[in-house]
This record gives sequence, structure tokens and C-alpha cells, in this order.
Amino acid sequence: MSDLLDQAIVVTAIAGGIRLAVPLLLAGLGETFGQRSGVLNLGVDGIMLLGAFAGYYTVLQIGNVWLGLAVGLVVGAVLGLATAFISVTLGAEQGISGIGVYLFGLGLSDLLFQKLVGTPRPIDSFPRVPIPGLSSIPVVGEMFFRHSLVVYLAFLLVPASIFVINRTTFGMNIRAVGENPEAADSVGVSVARVRYATVLIGGVLAGMAGAALAIDLGIFQQNLTNAQGFIAVALVYFGAWRPLGVMGGALLYGLVNSVVLQLKTLGIIPRSWSDIAAMAPAVITILALVLVARRFRQPAALAKPFLREA
Amino acid sequence: MLELRGIVKRFPGVLANDGIDFELLPGEIHTLLGENGAGKSTLMKIVYGLYRPDAGEILVDGTRVDIHRPTDAIELGIGMVHQHFMLVDTLTVAENVAMGLRSSRRPLTDLDVVAERIVELGERFGLPVDPHAVIWQLSVGQRQRVEILKALYRDARLLILDEPTAVLTPQEADQLFDTLRTMTEDGRGIIFISHKLREVLALSDRITVLRHGKVVGEVDDPTAVTREDLARMMVGRDVKLAPDKAPARPGPARLRVRGLRVHGDRGTEAVSGIDLEVRGGEIVGIAGVSGNGQRELAEAIAGLRRPVAGEILVGEVDVAGSSPAEIHAAGVRYISEARMREGAIPGFTVAENLLLVDHGDPRFRRGVLFDDRAIEEHGRRLVAEYRVKTPGLDTPVEHLSGGNIQKLIVARELSARPDVLIAAQPTRGVDIGAAEYIHARLVEERDRGTAVLVISEDLDEILALADRIAVIYEGRIVDVVDRAEADREVLGLMMAGGHPGSGGETAAAAGGAAR
Amino acid sequence: MRRTTSMRWLVFTAVVALVAAACGGGDEGGGGTEGGGETFRIAVVAPSASNDLAFTQSIVDAVNRIADERGNIEVAITDGTFVVEDAAAAIRDYANQGYDLVIAHGSQYGGSLQEIAPEFPDTSFAWGTAADTFGLDNVFAYEAASNEGGYVMGAMAAMLSESGVVGIIGPIEVGDAKLYVDGFAAGVKATDPEATVNINYTGSFSDVGLAAEAAEAQIAAGADVLTGTAQMVVGAVGVAKDKGVLWFGTQSNQTSLAPEIVVASQVYHWEVILSEILDAIGRGEKGGTSYEIDLANGGIVIEYNEQFELPDDVKQKAEETIAGIVDGSISTE
Repeated sequence: MSDLLDQAIVVTAIAGGIRLAVPLLLAGLGETFGQRSGVLNLGVDGIMLLGAFAGYYTVLQIGNVWLGLAVGLVVGAVLGLATAFISVTLGAEQGISGIGVYLFGLGLSDLLFQKLVGTPRPIDSFPRVPIPGLSSIPVVGEMFFRHSLVVYLAFLLVPASIFVINRTTFGMNIRAVGENPEAADSVGVSVARVRYATVLIGGVLAGMAGAALAIDLGIFQQNLTNAQGFIAVALVYFGAWRPLGVMGGALLYGLVNSVVLQLKTLGIIPRSWSDIAAMAPAVITILALVLVARRFRQPAALAKPFLREA
Repeated sequence: MLELRGIVKRFPGVLANDGIDFELLPGEIHTLLGENGAGKSTLMKIVYGLYRPDAGEILVDGTRVDIHRPTDAIELGIGMVHQHFMLVDTLTVAENVAMGLRSSRRPLTDLDVVAERIVELGERFGLPVDPHAVIWQLSVGQRQRVEILKALYRDARLLILDEPTAVLTPQEADQLFDTLRTMTEDGRGIIFISHKLREVLALSDRITVLRHGKVVGEVDDPTAVTREDLARMMVGRDVKLAPDKAPARPGPARLRVRGLRVHGDRGTEAVSGIDLEVRGGEIVGIAGVSGNGQRELAEAIAGLRRPVAGEILVGEVDVAGSSPAEIHAAGVRYISEARMREGAIPGFTVAENLLLVDHGDPRFRRGVLFDDRAIEEHGRRLVAEYRVKTPGLDTPVEHLSGGNIQKLIVARELSARPDVLIAAQPTRGVDIGAAEYIHARLVEERDRGTAVLVISEDLDEILALADRIAVIYEGRIVDVVDRAEADREVLGLMMAGGHPGSGGETAAAAGGAAR
Repeated sequence: MRRTTSMRWLVFTAVVALVAAACGGGDEGGGGTEGGGETFRIAVVAPSASNDLAFTQSIVDAVNRIADERGNIEVAITDGTFVVEDAAAAIRDYANQGYDLVIAHGSQYGGSLQEIAPEFPDTSFAWGTAADTFGLDNVFAYEAASNEGGYVMGAMAAMLSESGVVGIIGPIEVGDAKLYVDGFAAGVKATDPEATVNINYTGSFSDVGLAAEAAEAQIAAGADVLTGTAQMVVGAVGVAKDKGVLWFGTQSNQTSLAPEIVVASQVYHWEVILSEILDAIGRGEKGGTSYEIDLANGGIVIEYNEQFELPDDVKQKAEETIAGIVDGSISTE
């Protein structure tokens, strides 16, 4: 039994949790910007899927993983602008239009995949880049400092987001527009411009999240994201609209998933419980959501279109 | 410095401004007076760029200007303090002031610079406020200071204040007036919108009265007119500013509060041992500065807040800690100060709102279903009896004016023929006509033998209604005096915590500053 | 407000149209070879993509093969109906359009089929993988003895593993997946009783990322030979390739995913039983029978990866095992 607690197993579980967290973290951070400014984008998963296909297809054709990530990002940006047009300019019901974007992304990514690729063909993944020095720390180095650059980038975006939201005029405008758009409008802050910017950021990060997922897995398949975009939206609530909270939620979700998998593999969770254990991440997330999010208030103008009168 | 010529603004079905002329001179406080819906706010929103006029022109310093958006107005030196504050509750004072302005450290914020200037301006104009406080922590009076500071920070030479005292206590209002005078001494012009006649007369250099979108009167010398004159101009008929009232004939005590302690929203004690008695057939008024425990007291009696200690006896039954439904059953009804949050459901129709409290009543049920016909009849009767102006029973109440919503709530609560009635801020933000009517109904209710407890921050209202006046300060009753012996000056002192006779403390000291 | 509403409708309609276009793309007219006599029309409704290298592809390939073989058959496919309600709608639609045989390829569609089939007594339905025809005389059932191929490959895995640990990744412990997983595990144990078999069901047929992490977990727990079933395993194959551990595929030939490490795949040739079903329909039977593909009837075939250098003794063991299962001397239990 001693090898059950083998270092390699613990390291794999933690490192795996971090990897699983990355797409959720990227998409969740993007969604945080949108929601802080009052726009609920439920189409994240659709944007992720199209970003994933775009990234995958680029790597398949050209072979450069970074170009793939960049194309995923651009596709995300285009869809972000479309989402902004629907929810900001047209002032559409955000829940419904978000589902529309999701279905669009789900359908189109599958259609393109069938037409352009057909049978799943593997592509290169991001190279692992051990951080000099840190990566040679026993155990810890293995867990945290032997990932691909995308993983580091995703986690560096957390302090960057905190800085932007709390220390810049743009961030201040985001918070104002999400709480009281009339007040922001009355002093000349363009609510539409701020919301376009945040939804664009959300689209870019969702597209990137999808591309990162596909390229990291080295494969594409219909509905590759498997609703991770919706989990990302839930994590924004879980994280109480704070980047650090979103990161915590993404890590919790990823870790619970990888630890449960590990425990199942080792037979510690009996197979008869397997299906119940598969629900653990969702259940734990919902519980945390209930416990944590109750203490915080959502942005007052969340999901409310702002159209100035007369 | 500002001239409006023939301003016209139409909304679907309403002519909000019908050829209005208006003028403001530097160093002048010019009041726009009128009922709700007379077109005051619309006119000022046009000046501030929130609405476009359908006709007419705006001149600033003699030049014709086009004001498309608030930023245009700000650039012309026009500032506006809205009736509903344009503040972001979760941001700090400095952030609210800095919002929309170019930061000296772009793209980063320069809040320390802004904070410094806020303190400076605050000292100069008597508007002290902590620039690092978050808005939701501030009292209403302090929030208003932030609004004024926002305008001053943008070098506003012309300041529009839309119903600024509707949310202020007498002390806060006095402070505000001092600030406004300091500003006019500087050569700034102020447009003051109000329907509180006493303060309009006290403050204005000039008064323009609007009714139904038209200018119906101008007063160049406010010292030459009375409140009654102004009210007549506003409403178009003679108005009773205080209800006719026979002397009270109180019966036995119906509501007795003993040693009541209640916590506020933040867990600190808001009501600290109150004893109070209201007899059938009398109106007891609770006077006090906002935030001294009035809301918590009312909510405890209504069952919306669980007391920490003490008794609330309705007749002989202690209802402390009972549910609102049990308290209803005991014969207590409550008119909440939070009209749109607790008193009514904005998206529900008039008929539905009239039914809110009594939806379980067998009169309105047929098995598990609602009896639509009975409900409609009930709604039609109350709307007519209480003169609620509404297009129909199926109109969502959010489309009604504040006065009509309040009449609707009063109708609902009084139709239950309660033994005890709690009315919190019954006419706040309500036009004179509706206020006059609500006051009359409250007095009628008293004469029916109901024990009425009126809580108001408007001292005029307390003086007009109450038979006995209890002054509340920091969660305690300072004193209870008979209306006949009450003196405005002495009450003001007690509202600031000073005891009659001790005389030392000044009313302004409280200022509603610290909650 | 009216303007906004109509714009909303425009946007909504546009999105719906686009989605419809996107989904419609999945309906591929397959065979349709012209010949003499009346064309026989077959429709397939399946949960994942037609080219998932797994469950759905197995039936799509089979139907296309039989269409080519027999000629004069028209094929229509609706794939990606992982939402059962969508599948039910598609099934009903095809029945309405007068297709001769509607195949509901997914055990989760059973409930819907049970409702729909009685409404269309002239249409034949087939569903799998399952053994139950609900006692309806216009429903065929079909399943695969995936335990047999699993057992054969399990035996090979036991011989190829150096660490003595074999990992199996499943979706949810039901139906075809459970049969395969249990057969594979039994094959390993029968060949090397000392070997450790770690089984983990991810709880999802579609979560590729989770399947990848499951492979990581298996490898961390010491496995140097892996297998897995359902469409999400493409993620696991990628990890196996990176880590250089061996892989056994099932449901379709998965060699193309990682030619370096795929040893062999169990491939379903549903055309064997489809052929029987078509014959039965030709005789005027609309349903009522259940079929199974297995090693004996050639519906299950072990396809070796030619590029993988399989030691002779392993290959020999595999062939012996196949023969043993076919003649009944070996039980896969």
C-alpha cells in the first residue's frame, strides 16, 4: 500500500489539476471582466469551441502551436465583438442570446471539423517549459514549474487582471458600469465602449482557452469543451467576481477532478461508487457556490442592458 | 448665465414641457417649483443633456448651445445633483468623483491627487467627507455632499439640485443651504428643484412655478408670498397644508413597547431599550434624524426584524419575534418607508399589489385558485375609494407616480381595518396633493379608533399629524411631548440628542453624519 | 421598444438559421447508388460524430460498406445527437419520411424508440447496443460481444507490459463499455494472474480533457499499457503517445491517432448483422429478433497495427485466444 502514496501519484494529481484548471481559468477571467461591467455572456462555451477548432486546424495545417493559439484568440475576439453587438448595441436578453452563441459555436465548430478534417488527427502540443531553478525543486518543481508557457501565462493573467480592475481608470470604469451604468453615463463614461471592451476581452480569453485546450490535448472532437465554458461562467459566481476567487474555483474544480480520477485509478474509490464520484466536482462547486457566493453581492447591473432614454 | 426659450419636450402621450422660458443669473438661487410630473426634472434633464428638446433653445452666457450629452453640459460648467444619486455604491468617494475625468497618470488612476482636492473643496464649501470611504457606508446626507463635490470638482458654475432635501433631515438641509449660499457668493448660479414650501421660501432668490409642463407663475420676491400662495400656484386650487383635526379622544393603549432592543443591518444595536405607548384614537409621531433607529423600530413591530430583547404588546398579546403574518393577524398593519422594495412589487399590477398582503384571504380564493372576479372587484373599489390614478387595474405599478403608489399601499393597508397602524415616511417623495390626501386618511383612521404610529424625518409632517411626539436619538426616546406644547426649536435640539433644559448642544452637531 | 424587439427577433432568427445550417451539415447523404428496382432507404441516428474513431463511426462505416456492397441503398445519417430528445426527433422524422430501416445507435435511445416504433408499424427499427426488442415486432436489437475482443487484447497487454500494471479507461460503467472493460481485465488476469489491472471510469463519454487526465493518472500509478473505450479516449491516446506507453483501441481502428504506440484495435463490423437484418426484412420480417456480432461470425475483428513490431509470441497468443473463444474452449468471464 505504500506505493499508493507514491510521490509520482501526488505530483500527477496536483499537476493534472492545474492543467485541467487552465481553460476554466482563462475563460473565467474573461467572463469576470464582462460580468464586472454588467454583461453576462453565456456563450463562452461556443466561443471556446470555435477557438478550439481554429487553433487545432491552424496547428494541423501549419504546425506552429503558438500560431494556433493566436488564431484561436483572434476567432475569440471576432465572436466577442459579435456578442457585444448583440448584448450591448441591440440590448438583447443576455441569457437567451448567450445560448444562441453557444449553439452557434457548437454547431459551426462541428460542421467545420467534419468538412475540413473529418477523422480526428493528432497535432503537436505545447512544449513543456521547465522554469530554470524552480523546476528542480523536488516534488514542488515537478508540480508547479514543469508546465507549458500557456499554463504560466494563464496564472500570470490573474495578478494582471486584479491590477487592471483595481488600479486603472479602465478598471474603475468597468466596476462603475457594472454597478450603476446611469451614474457612469452621467459623467461621460461610455457604457457601451466599456462593455464592448470587456466582452471583447472575454471573447479573446475564451477563444484562447479553447485553443489552449485543443492544442494541449493535441486533438479536436465534436463538443471538445464538454460544457467547460458553462463551468467557467459558474466559477465567476463562485469566485465572487474576483480574479483570485475565479482562480481558486478553477483550481478546486481541476484538483477535485484529478484527485477523484487518481483515487478511482488506485481503487481507493470503489468502482461501484465511480459514477457518484464523477459528480463530486460539480457537487463541491455548487456547495462552495452556495456558501461563498452568498457573502458577496453580484454587480448590480449584471445582465441588464443599458439603453439611454430618449 | 443660463436662458431657456420655449422649451418643448414630448413623451408618448405626455407633453412634459410646453414652451418653457427660464432664466438664471450668476449668484442667484432660482427655484423651480411644481408637483411631481409638472415637468421640472424633464426640463433640467434637457439642460444637462440627458434628454433632447423637441423645440426651443438653450443659451449659456448669451450663446446658443447644443447639449447632446452630459459631458457637453459638464464642459459648459453645468453640474447636476440628481434626485436619485448618480453614485456607484461599491466605489469610494474619490473614485466616484474621478470617474469620467482624465487621470493625470493614465492609464492608471490618480486617486490620491483626487482625494486631496476633495478634502480642499470640502473645507472651502463646508462639505466634509472622507474621500476613501465607500459610498454604501455613507449616510444619505453624506452621499449628497459627494454629488455636489463631483460637480464642484468639475468646476461647475451652474449647479442644478433636483429635490435635494427630499432625503435630508432639517439639520442636513440647513447645512446644505449654507453650502449653497457659499457657492452663490462665489458667483455661481443654482437651480433648486423642490416642492417643500417652507425651505423654498427660506432659500430662494426667485421662484418659477410649473404645472402640467407650463410656467404658471413667477415670484421675484419670495418674502412677499406665503406657503399657501405657492401651494395654490402648484396645484391650481386651495390646498390644506395641514389636515383638519379635531382634538384626539384617545382610548386604552393598543400598542405597548417595553424595553425593546433591536440590532441593525450590520449587527450593532440600533434600538437600545425603547418604551412607547400608542393608544387607540391617537397619532404618535416619532421625530428624529435619519438613521437613529426608526427603521429598525418599525420593522421590529411589523415582524420584519427579530428583536433582541423586550416586549411588543398588541392589546395583551406579546408579538415580539412573531412572523409578519401572525402580526397581521393581531391587527397590525405597516406602511413601509421602502415603498418600491417592501411596500410594493414594481413589476406586479395594481390589482396584484392590492392583494399582496391578503393573498391567502378566503374572500379571494376559490379552492387553490384565485377568484379573479373578487380580486378585480376589490381592486376597483380600492382604486376608486383612495383615488389612485392608474390607467387600469392591470398596469404594473412601476408605471405609476410615487404619490399614486403610496396611495395604493395606504389603500391596501387601511382596507384591512387595522387596530394598530405603523406608517413610516408616509409621504416622502410624494406630491402635495397625494400627501394632503394621505394625511387626511391617517387622521380619519385615528378618528376610527386606530392606534397610529407615524415615523417621519420631516418635522413639518410630524407637527401636522401627531397628537403626541416622541423624539428618537441613537436608538432611545429622548422625550415624549404633547403636540400642543411642542416647539420646533426644542424638538430640533432633542433630535440632536440634547435634552430640554440642558440646552448646551446644538442641533447641527449631529448633522446625520455618523451612522 | 418595438424596434428593439424586432431586432431581437432578427438576431434570434439569424442564429437559429445558422445553427440549423450547421447541424444540417451533419446530415450526409451517403451511398445512394442507383440500380434496378426500388431503392432501400436506411437512416442512422447516432450520439457522437461520424468520424469519432469509436462508437458512432463503427455503425456509419458499416452502413456505408453494406450500401456499397449491395447497391441500390440510400443512406441518411444524423450524428452528434448526444441529447436524447434531439435523437428522438430525428428518429421520428426519418420514420415519417418513410425510411425502410431506422437505426437508433445508442442504448440511451431505447426509451424513445419504445414510444416511437409502435406509431410506425410499416417501418423497421434497429437499436443497439442492446438485446431487448421490447416485444415489438418492428424492432431489431443488436449488440457486440466486445468482451471477446477485449479479452484477446487483454491477453496481449499482459504479455507486453513490463511493469505488470495495465490501465483501463472507461466512460460510465454500462453497456458496451462495461462489457469491453470487463473482458479486457479478464484477459489480462487470465494471462498473468500477478498483473495489476487499474480501471477508472471518468464518468463521461465526451470529456476529452478528463480522459487525458485519466491516462496521466494511470501512468502515474505505474501502467505501461493502456486501453479505453468511448469517444473521449482520443484525449487519452494523446497522453499515451507523449509518455510512450502502449495503447489498445476498440470500436474502430485507432492506429491513425498514434501509429507509434497503438498495438491493435478491436473493430466492429456491424455489416455482418446488418446484412442479416436486411435479409430478414427481405423475407418480410419487420423486427422482433436480436443479433450479436462476435469473433465467430466475423463481426468483431482484431486489426493489428502493421507499423507496430508485435513480438511473434504475442501475436501467436492472440491468434490462439481468438481460436479458443470461437471454438468455445476459452470463456471470457
